[in-house]
Amino acid sequence: MSGYDRALSVFSPDGHVFQVEYALEAVKRGTCAVAVKGNEIVVLGCEKKSAMKLQDTRITPSKIGLVDDHICLAFAGLNADARILIDKARLEAQSHRLTVEDPVSIEYITKYVAGVQQRYTQSGGVRPFGISTLIVGFDPGSKEARLYQTEPSGIYSAWKANAIGRSSKTVREFLERNHTDSLDRDGTIELTIKSLLEVVQTGAKNIEIAVMTPGNEVAYLQAEEIEKIVEKINTEKDAEAATRRGGRGGAAGPPSAQGQEQVLAERPAGAE
Amino acid sequence: MEVLLGITGKDFTIVAASKATMRGPTVLKSSDDKTRPLSKHTLMAYSGEAGDTVQFAEYVQANIQLYSKRNASELSPYEVSSFVRSELAKSLRSRNPYNVNLLLGGFDPITDKPELYWVDYLASSARVPYAAHGYAQYYCLSTLDKHHHPDISFEQGMKILRMCTDELKRRLPIDFKGVLVKVVTKDGIREEPYEDEKPVYAP
Amino acid sequence: MDALVAQHSRSQHAAEGYSEDEMQQQMSADLAQPLSLQFALPPTASPSQWLRAMTDDHSNPQCPIKIAHGTTTLAFRHKGGIVVATDSRATAGDWIASQTVKKVIEINSCLLGTMAGGAADCQYWLAYLGMQCRLHELRHKRRISVAAASKILANLVYSYKGMGLSMGTMCAGVTPSEGPALYYIDSDGTRLAGNLFCVGSGQTFAYGVLDAEYHYDMEDAEALELGKRSILAATHRDAFSGGYINLYHVKEDGWVKHGFMDTNPIFWETKLKKGEFSNVTSKMDE
Repeated sequence: MSGYDRALSVFSPDGHVFQVEYALEAVKRGTCAVAVKGNEIVVLGCEKKSAMKLQDTRITPSKIGLVDDHICLAFAGLNADARILIDKARLEAQSHRLTVEDPVSIEYITKYVAGVQQRYTQSGGVRPFGISTLIVGFDPGSKEARLYQTEPSGIYSAWKANAIGRSSKTVREFLERNHTDSLDRDGTIELTIKSLLEVVQTGAKNIEIAVMTPGNEVAYLQAEEIEKIVEKINTEKDAEAATRRGGRGGAAGPPSAQGQEQVLAERPAGAE
Repeated sequence: MEVLLGITGKDFTIVAASKATMRGPTVLKSSDDKTRPLSKHTLMAYSGEAGDTVQFAEYVQANIQLYSKRNASELSPYEVSSFVRSELAKSLRSRNPYNVNLLLGGFDPITDKPELYWVDYLASSARVPYAAHGYAQYYCLSTLDKHHHPDISFEQGMKILRMCTDELKRRLPIDFKGVLVKVVTKDGIREEPYEDEKPVYAP
Repeated sequence: MDALVAQHSRSQHAAEGYSEDEMQQQMSADLAQPLSLQFALPPTASPSQWLRAMTDDHSNPQCPIKIAHGTTTLAFRHKGGIVVATDSRATAGDWIASQTVKKVIEINSCLLGTMAGGAADCQYWLAYLGMQCRLHELRHKRRISVAAASKILANLVYSYKGMGLSMGTMCAGVTPSEGPALYYIDSDGTRLAGNLFCVGSGQTFAYGVLDAEYHYDMEDAEALELGKRSILAATHRDAFSGGYINLYHVKEDGWVKHGFMDTNPIFWETKLKKGEFSNVTSKMDE
């Protein structure tokens, strides 16, 4: 490959910047993050890595960062890269407050974050950020939730609901099937958790949920609350599975399908 | 003729700043707020060179808020005062130093104690029970020396403040248009309504 | 009476005219430049010597160039929007450089700036501010707030503090988020929000008339009349203010210009119809 993939800011003959594509690969390997917009609410959900026995989970940094009082950012990809990017975003948010006397809008900070990411694909001696981000919040004085995604290339886009990171395709497809406009608070939180359960095997203890509502500080759901919702989702799923089985009139299905359903019932978090 | 006053008590710090902005022979504004909240529990009042004051105050404010966002924790009033002092000291040795005098009123929610720092443009900083800047020092410090005690209640604190502002109205040759009063307690910063319509005459 | 008023009126550009000689000089000096867009230069043999004489270094010895400047500008908020009024005289020392200066600068369709102090400083930096406001609009997809616009200017002049800039300006505008907003900015770096400001050498005279009758609930016509009368008061008493009254009204859907009016007929009208200015006699033979 004659070195096109080594030097950044050099195109390959067919128009690729390989380093950026490798960064996208790092994103795909990162833990999953989901964001869902509802009516006057926006929810961020993250897959938490299982902690090792001696790890202190209380003070291990989370995948959800606060950029300003009204803006949250979740990422997928390299944790250490995200720290730098979030820090830059926080600085810009404060600097904006200082010079314009207004908090930043969500779109503005998204554009800024994407701008920083883009810069790192076009300068010498640097490496692109190995992260995608989901930026959510409410514009000052607005009750309409905002949700944007940024990528290592510097692309940014607006969404109603989206997922990034590991198995994001599965989750996005799930969201596409299940998202409706103007979800209420409970509906939004539930959809977020449900979509995460598509890929998170271990259920509530590996899920982190942040909720934003207009004019309020970000609220993190307690483990017990998440647990309760996961249980509720599972019982609903079980009931659904039971009726489906009943609907078939007791006829024995193909063994493979049977096996899958057993797995479903066994694993509280559901299977892929 | 800007007036800055600060009084601590049992569980509060009162900060008062004159409301007039003067330029040459004119009072441009008589409802000016010469304070900026730096964090939930620290308030900064400033006086000095026009332009410098607000620039410095807002610069410090943005940095303290950036710190609390980055570290998800608040700086204590003492830590804030150290930062402010070091910024002033740096500026003092630069090409164009900030000409700003400050009072930092705060309440430390961990030690549960009110705090007040007197800081001047030469970057001196001192923790004091009560303080003043400008001509107010000459009139009010003696009053405060006589009437202040560390464990006074909020009502007593306001009474002493009234004695100070009355004396300033009586003897300062230029009207400073009354004072804006802010109070820092364990619950944060609030503005305290303050009656200053009444004229006071020198006997 | 009309004859008397007419006697003291003149056409808008009469004051700008050059004498034959001056015209010739100017023409030969610079054929390419249109005459009407230039400030007249003082008729002096040595500009540098003249500058020395005009430099006011009592107030600030560090200041390399400081030309004395006179102006009256005012702006105030009321329930119907913001009234902005100025005189139109530009002076350099005791020399009247122009009687037809536009001291209200149209930053964009909703924002006005006023000009006091160095004419060049104000014109240049308010034009620059207009550019920044447009860029903000393009970047943020909505109009800049008056708070932000005024802060851009305040930060800018603060960065030049002590280097000789001389400006006293007001930014007036109406935005959906703020309503009518008025800011005072000067070259010290001071920036204040307020209801009412007068700036310039004639400010005290304008304040005198304006403060006495100002209240926030004024109707549009009343407010415009008061703004006009306050400038008239200043042009009458302040030697460095005069020429025309430039009157604007800023409302929610942008500003409206209410004329560029010669002070002379307005003065006589005020005197003769209302009986004000009673220290001035209208009988020429007494």
